[in-house]
Amino acid sequence: MADERTPTWEDVARVYGRKIYNFAYRLTGNPDDAADLVQEVLLRVRRGLSSYTPGSFDGWLWRITRNAFLDGVRKQKRRPTSPLPDDDRHLAFSSPSPDEVLASVRLSEDIQSALLKLPLDFRECVVLCDVVGLTYEEIAEAIASPVGTVRSRIHRGRKMLRELLTWPL
Amino acid sequence: MAVVKAAGGCAVAELITAYLDAELQPGELDIIVAHLGECRGCIVEFHRLKEMRAALRTLPFLEIPERLLPDTHPGEELSAYLDGQLSTIEHEFVISHLDFCTDCRLELHELDSARTAIRSLPGLEPPEFIAVHQERVARERWSRRRVVAAAVGISAVAALAFSLLYPSHRTTDLDMTPLFDQHQARVSVEYGFNVVPAFSPADTAP
Repeated sequence: MADERTPTWEDVARVYGRKIYNFAYRLTGNPDDAADLVQEVLLRVRRGLSSYTPGSFDGWLWRITRNAFLDGVRKQKRRPTSPLPDDDRHLAFSSPSPDEVLASVRLSEDIQSALLKLPLDFRECVVLCDVVGLTYEEIAEAIASPVGTVRSRIHRGRKMLRELLTWPL
Repeated sequence: MAVVKAAGGCAVAELITAYLDAELQPGELDIIVAHLGECRGCIVEFHRLKEMRAALRTLPFLEIPERLLPDTHPGEELSAYLDGQLSTIEHEFVISHLDFCTDCRLELHELDSARTAIRSLPGLEPPEFIAVHQERVARERWSRRRVVAAAVGISAVAALAFSLLYPSHRTTDLDMTPLFDQHQARVSVEYGFNVVPAFSPADTAP
């Protein structure tokens, strides 16, 4: 690598934007809300970078993301989530086979619906682990809780999801 | 090690999830392996959680709307990427971008082909007029070297002859025999070296 430097907000947008968007989409189930959250996070990153002290950048970023999400939830209390779109044109599928696409759409719709039924605390831990790909320690840093709490929430969240998904996986 | 009792399950049920995520703490692996060997309920739970985890990880990774990004394509960073000259954050950006952008993957492929082609160009022979010039320069250099070498050789021989013809009155323990032998050997085999008559150590005896 040529050099190491503190990332700019453009760097953050380009490198983490997609992950933040996926985190937001899986938590809200709504592309518009997800886009709004990404914009809010990038705005906060832009403001916060000047006072950012080198450390765990991921922990810092996901804490901002999670706080922005929770602020949005508080602002629109108990707003009903929008149903998923009829088609998944915006989704990126790796397999082009029609049967696989149909199965994948159905599975992802069912999982998404089930995710939205999870308590928020469990949902965010499951999404950060299985969608974003953070470790328990990184999640613990992001949600400012002990690793044991993270482990418990992921376990219980997946267990609830499995019970919500009635048909065989 | 804190094991929280799962509702309706065994006390170690939570370890199943940590095991699947490779997040067990030291010592916990033995506990869960031993438990799975004797608890049928947890074996069933293990498979259900494993399926659920796998299903969650098959969720498609969505594209972010381009309007949310400041600059969606790497551009000149692709060349720097090929040359390994990007910073960590730039490298991560290029890698994550190439993951989904067909246009940039194609551009990277073309850049790589061009780079490979340039680097595989053969070393060319210089044009003829340059070769002739180089040959003349080399000849002149060789002539100059021969003149200098001859001058040095003659000087050395003259000095040696002078010292032999007019030996110092100082006594010395230096054994000159090997030098004489070498000189005579050279006189016998090297053309032009016999400018000084052959002699023997006995000639220099007082």
